[in-house]
Amino acid sequence: MIRVEHLTVNYGAINALSDVSFEANPGRVTAVLGANGAGKSTLLRAISGLVAPKSGDIFLGERSILSMATENIARLGVAHVPEGRGVIHELTIEENLRLGAFASEVDVRAGLERQYELFPVLGDRRKKYCSTLSGGERQMLAMARALISDPKVLLLDEPSLGLAPQVTSELMNLILELCHANDLTVVLVEQNAKSALRISHDAVVLHLGTVVASGDADTIANDKNLRHYYLGLVQ
Amino acid sequence: MSQFLSSPIMHNIFAGLAQGVIYSLVALSLVIIWQSTHVLNFAQGAMAMFASYVGMTEIDRGLNYWLCLVLSIFVGLLFGGFTERVLIRPLYGKPEINAIVVTVGFLGVLEAVAQAVWTSTTRNIATPLSQIYFHNQGRLVLLSPFVIFQFALAIVIMLFVAGLFRFTDLGLQLRASALAPEVARLLGVRVNRMLTIGWMLSAAVGTVAATIVASGSFGLYPSDMDGILIAGFIAAVVGGLESPVGAVIGGLLIGLAEQFILSYWSADLAPLGGIILLVVVLMLRPQGLFTKSVSRRV
Amino acid sequence: MKRLALFANQGATSSRLVGVLLLTLLTLAITFVLPPVADSQLASGAAISIVVLGLSWLIGWSGQISLGNSGFMAVGAYATGIWAHHHASSPIIFTFVLAMAVGAFSGLIIAIPSTRLRGPYLAGMTLAFSAAIAPLAQNYTSITGGEGGLFFNTLTTPHWFLNLFSGQNATIDANAQWTADLAVVVAGVTFFFMANLFHSHTGRAMRLVRDNDVAAELVGVNLPRTRTLAFVVAAAFAGLGGSLYALINATVTPSTFPLTLSITLLTLMVLGGIGTLSGAVIGGIIYAFSSNLVGHINSLTGINPTSNLGANMQGIIFGILLILTMLFTPRGIAGLGPRFGRLVANRRRVAPLATGE
Ligand SMILES: Nc1ncnc2c1ncn2[C@@H]1O[C@H](COP(=O)(O)OP(=O)(O)OP(=O)(O)O)[C@@H](O)[C@H]1O
Ligand SMILES: [Mg+2]
Repeated sequence: MIRVEHLTVNYGAINALSDVSFEANPGRVTAVLGANGAGKSTLLRAISGLVAPKSGDIFLGERSILSMATENIARLGVAHVPEGRGVIHELTIEENLRLGAFASEVDVRAGLERQYELFPVLGDRRKKYCSTLSGGERQMLAMARALISDPKVLLLDEPSLGLAPQVTSELMNLILELCHANDLTVVLVEQNAKSALRISHDAVVLHLGTVVASGDADTIANDKNLRHYYLGLVQ
Repeated sequence: MSQFLSSPIMHNIFAGLAQGVIYSLVALSLVIIWQSTHVLNFAQGAMAMFASYVGMTEIDRGLNYWLCLVLSIFVGLLFGGFTERVLIRPLYGKPEINAIVVTVGFLGVLEAVAQAVWTSTTRNIATPLSQIYFHNQGRLVLLSPFVIFQFALAIVIMLFVAGLFRFTDLGLQLRASALAPEVARLLGVRVNRMLTIGWMLSAAVGTVAATIVASGSFGLYPSDMDGILIAGFIAAVVGGLESPVGAVIGGLLIGLAEQFILSYWSADLAPLGGIILLVVVLMLRPQGLFTKSVSRRV
Repeated sequence: MKRLALFANQGATSSRLVGVLLLTLLTLAITFVLPPVADSQLASGAAISIVVLGLSWLIGWSGQISLGNSGFMAVGAYATGIWAHHHASSPIIFTFVLAMAVGAFSGLIIAIPSTRLRGPYLAGMTLAFSAAIAPLAQNYTSITGGEGGLFFNTLTTPHWFLNLFSGQNATIDANAQWTADLAVVVAGVTFFFMANLFHSHTGRAMRLVRDNDVAAELVGVNLPRTRTLAFVVAAAFAGLGGSLYALINATVTPSTFPLTLSITLLTLMVLGGIGTLSGAVIGGIIYAFSSNLVGHINSLTGINPTSNLGANMQGIIFGILLILTMLFTPRGIAGLGPRFGRLVANRRRVAPLATGE
């Protein structure tokens, strides 16, 4: 569904990604792992058109979305929950959710009801400003806002950031469930390799902007060297 | 009751509010732009003046007053859109001084062109509404059909703007684009379009203010809006620059302050009403009267 | 090591002195050649260049903006006029010091509430201040002369200078040139002062505040004080320029320093080049001879200079130039030099910049 080919991204003189290729497919969770500064966020930002790559190509299905505007990529069904969640604090919960619905033709009212059913916490407080939400609730809201437009692709940038282990684990289960239920293509960027790999089908490991490993998530999870050097997972 | 409406205090209040709604509208228009693009548009008054002059010219050719008002607003919309697209868009992400300088330059051009085309003399639009003040049992009340229309028009516009921002999808997208442009883009909001619409809307609101000035008994001249812009700006700051309601109230307060200075102190010093109010407010509440003093969490 | 640094600094100071001195002498020499009308224009240009320099410092080095410098000019001019009424025969230097002090003081008054305001707030606040001057002048007639303003004739040409001239219009020639020379010398002194200020500890602190106020605060720069200082210096320069301007015209009225003058000042500064000495010089020259330039354009395009359009050509051209410069070459004319030089010599010159090209 999403295919990235030989992608290179620079910020001025800084090289953030070089020659990165990978693929993510419907009904599967693809984990993108790596340390701080590995280029994970940059990869998602490039897919969404927030940064202009220097070279390479990005395909959604068979269509190149390389030079498209961010809002048009979103309208093609790519939902991106950015690092830090991107909840707009000055708006109410319901307003944040309504915003998510503009990317598609879905009926707003039905969409809202569906998300409130999925995340009852949000429904109970729909008129409240988001500044009153906890970190976990904000993540729920960001997920709901991304899902309301019925996307085909879901890009998640470190959803577990700042969440308790218990909550993280529930969140991961939910992601997997949603992925199966809606035949979603999920790209899951995580530093928390352990919880990400638990639910992922495929995985890509980035290090200083290059792909050091990619393939089956289980294989990667069990590769001793990868675990040790790049994923910070020690026995 | 009738005595009360004709008392000196009420004279001053009516006259102050009549001037104040003009400031309120300009302040409101500045707040709309500020909220959507974080630019303070120094050409706002001049743009409004120019759009009104275009409308006025058509009145001279015999067009009906109401149609001219609509025409002016339409020209204002176009003007706002043009300004954002051509002059302001290249400056997003640059230091805010750049946008200030460009809008100041635009102010200069518009006033000079208006003076070149229409001369610097005052022009007046004849309204179908009477400007003659009412009498109540033989006593003067400083309200005329035109002044009442002016209040009504201002209230309608304010309610329209407030309603638009608060209750419509467009308003939600406008607010989101201003608050978090990148997030809004990721959600499929056409942010560039929203910025243009914000400027259009703002210019139209400003145009209504200029047209009211032109329709009043003192008329409008090309640099007339300079002072009004300053008062409107002060009103917007007094209200906190983020709050449309604050801007409106700020404008009314300045109108009243000027009127009371004029009556009880000195006509020459009336323009200082806004500054005096501003200094007082800045000392008491530097963030403005109507800003919730919650610091924004990132 | 320390001595070396000190020495290097002294070297820089003296080279700045030489530079400014040369430019001043050159301009003085030019005044001998120019006809009286051009001398008067040059005098106004020199006065304005002082104001532009102050504004350039404020915007280019401290990153704050003021649309109120015409107001500070007015304050300096009124101080000059009022002083002239009471002490017509005191040395002119007292007048200048007074005008600067009054300008600085009004700058301080505005700065204290304003430095907490950033960017647009500050711009609007200063705009409001400059708009307040005319009403005040109109109201306090006994001090300011009200609508009619004040007249004074304090710039008397000394005898030795008069004696340099002969012929029919000797007095006129001498007066015009004396005025121009005085203005040029005053401008030279202020430029020398500013050149040193640019490179002083304060100047560096100012740039740090402009570029990164958080970092500046971390290294111990007192933000409000630094910002206020920038403002006060700019206001003092404007006061001095206003004083000179009023002396040249021998009058000040509530309409001498209109809002449009603030726009003109901004235009000159941006056109010349933000934050540079040469930019302020260029700005002054443009101001001095803009009427010739506009006249030239009018005659080229066949516009009647007394028509509405002709009379407003200057406003139109200045406004358009301001916009175009900001959009396309935000470093102004002075910025073209280094840019060209860089192309040729590939040498990086550090030009202060608030414009983030
Ligand atoms: N806007 C930017 N300008 C300059 N450099 C940037 C910018 N954004 C990111 N970088 C640099 O690009 C590299 C990759 O950054 P990126 O944010 O993609 O990393 P990441 O893998 O998401 O890290 P983290 O886990 O900390 O979020 C880093 O070296 C970073 O410093
Ligand atoms: Mg990241």
